[in-house]
Amino acid sequence: MRSLPIPFMPIYKQFAILFLFVAVLLTACAEKPKSVNGKYSFYILGKNGKEYLMQSDNLSNGELKPEISGTELDGSEMDRDVFVKNGFYYHLNRKSPLFTKFKLKNGKFERVAAVKLENFSIENFNWISADTLLLTGLNVKGYNQPEYALISVGSMKLISRGLSGIPKPKGKFTSMSIGFLERNEDKLFVGYTYHVAVETSNYLTSDTMYFSTLTYPEMKLLKTEKDSRSTYPGGINTIQPYSFADFKGDHYFMSCPGIALGNRPEMPTAIFRIKAKENKVDQDYFFNISNSAIQNHAYGMWYLGGDEAIIRSERKDLFKGLGDHYSTAHFEFYILNLKTKSVKKLNLPLDKGTRKQCVIVEGNTAYIAVNSTKEGNNVWLYDIKAGTLKKGIRLSGDTDFILRMDKLRD
Amino acid sequence: MEINRRLIEKYHLDECTEEERKLVEAWLFSTEIEDLAILPLNEDKLDHKKQMWANIDAFITPDLKADQAKNTTIVFWQGAIAASLVIGLICGLLYLFVNKQEKLPDFVSVNNAYSENVKHVNSLEFNAAIGPNTIAKINKDAGVINLNGSILLSPKKDIELIFEGTHKKITLKKGQTYIILDNKSGKQGIIVVSQKNLLDLPPVIQKQISSQFDI
Repeated sequence: MRSLPIPFMPIYKQFAILFLFVAVLLTACAEKPKSVNGKYSFYILGKNGKEYLMQSDNLSNGELKPEISGTELDGSEMDRDVFVKNGFYYHLNRKSPLFTKFKLKNGKFERVAAVKLENFSIENFNWISADTLLLTGLNVKGYNQPEYALISVGSMKLISRGLSGIPKPKGKFTSMSIGFLERNEDKLFVGYTYHVAVETSNYLTSDTMYFSTLTYPEMKLLKTEKDSRSTYPGGINTIQPYSFADFKGDHYFMSCPGIALGNRPEMPTAIFRIKAKENKVDQDYFFNISNSAIQNHAYGMWYLGGDEAIIRSERKDLFKGLGDHYSTAHFEFYILNLKTKSVKKLNLPLDKGTRKQCVIVEGNTAYIAVNSTKEGNNVWLYDIKAGTLKKGIRLSGDTDFILRMDKLRD
Repeated sequence: MEINRRLIEKYHLDECTEEERKLVEAWLFSTEIEDLAILPLNEDKLDHKKQMWANIDAFITPDLKADQAKNTTIVFWQGAIAASLVIGLICGLLYLFVNKQEKLPDFVSVNNAYSENVKHVNSLEFNAAIGPNTIAKINKDAGVINLNGSILLSPKKDIELIFEGTHKKITLKKGQTYIILDNKSGKQGIIVVSQKNLLDLPPVIQKQISSQFDI
């Protein structure tokens, strides 16, 4: 059957064709440039309070604007404590309560699979293998019961979950913080401390760090040690890391008694070591950061390879208190030699944001994301061997804080 | 002597004698009705009445009709005005009712010091959740806030507040939720962060806020 020429078509058909044409045109116009599926991922908090996720193929040059290239996130679903492994994003929504695996595809955030994780707040994660994820956490109602969850992320199935055997807070202590989770073959080292809640914005932290050794995968408690050289041994590593294992298998962790974490500023920020074959904290090793040339507390530590690490330290002379700790640009980056205990300040603009996942180490380069109030938001490339710095990709437009910068694949 | 036209004319011209004047006045003020004229024998009084009414009708009908038309218009307008008044009254009452719902106080003063629960307060300018063990006073007109404890504030428009007794001024933007903490007994001082920056606060505080405000 031949179709009628348009002038002889019934009027409703002419309208239908016109409508379809306009609809196609509008859809085409509304299609904004999407972020490419790249090697790196940024989690951005915008000036307008919106949060974005965007990917990039390189960190060395170019410019990205989250409002153009980013995917706007639903704040009720997503938060900055989302972490990345092999191209997928993992996030626990305590309210739903689902631990969900996402992927970013064609500019859209898609849920791949989820596993129910009720009354659980993540303190630390540790990739046992590419498919097996171990989480330590606390009960949401009280934050006083240390638990663990072992998850197979391929199928997003819960392998096991239970109490970790770590002693609960007792006596005057009401809650606790688990600071790091390191594994040495069939042993797990967990660092933690206890708190007394005084008021909503007022709390006390024990002056002691506690370390438990557990068996893996049985999660049986073998022993618990105390150490009073500092307190608050690390922090929630979904936001920022505080520990790593070096090329020899020795584990290092940083205590954070400053006001932003432990709130025992009279104690020193320090780095401690657990030697690979000794399942205990090395009493002969103590790298006092507060007493070094840095003369400040620090939060966040990343391994650069060899004997070097990079830390992010505050400047107590530039902020007034917790109220402006996150919004004032006062953070500096220092390169540490863990063996010689030397410190070297990087010539970078002052960074803002109390806690951020802002360092990626790849080969001889450390990529450092800096939110400078004066110079804008840039990734800087630090040549680990040469010790030189140069500017990389710029994040402009609506960018206020680069809360995360992750490498999508190992 | 009897009342007639000539006598009444004389009365009006004040030409009556004393006797005539009394007679006329007696007649004028008398309530008794008597026919002024006696009809001839072959004429019926009722016929005269009918004819008189017919004449009257012929004379006054056009005006009466106009009056009736006028009356219809008046009735219509009276109805319209009455309806308008009723509608106006209903609208007024509705306005007052709705306005009463919307017109929330600019001054919020909540003593939640002895409670373990969050208290929710809405005003014209903001929605607030007052934390447990908290005393909060916010005077939007004066632009002053006084707080001992914790509060979650979601402004409905951009607002500026000064912490009473200090020079600390905060600007809160519409559409965002702010966590405001000020414990007089603590060392932390005044903390104001957008809920988006909650994870920048120490995890212990963040957990306490999350538990208290269920966020």
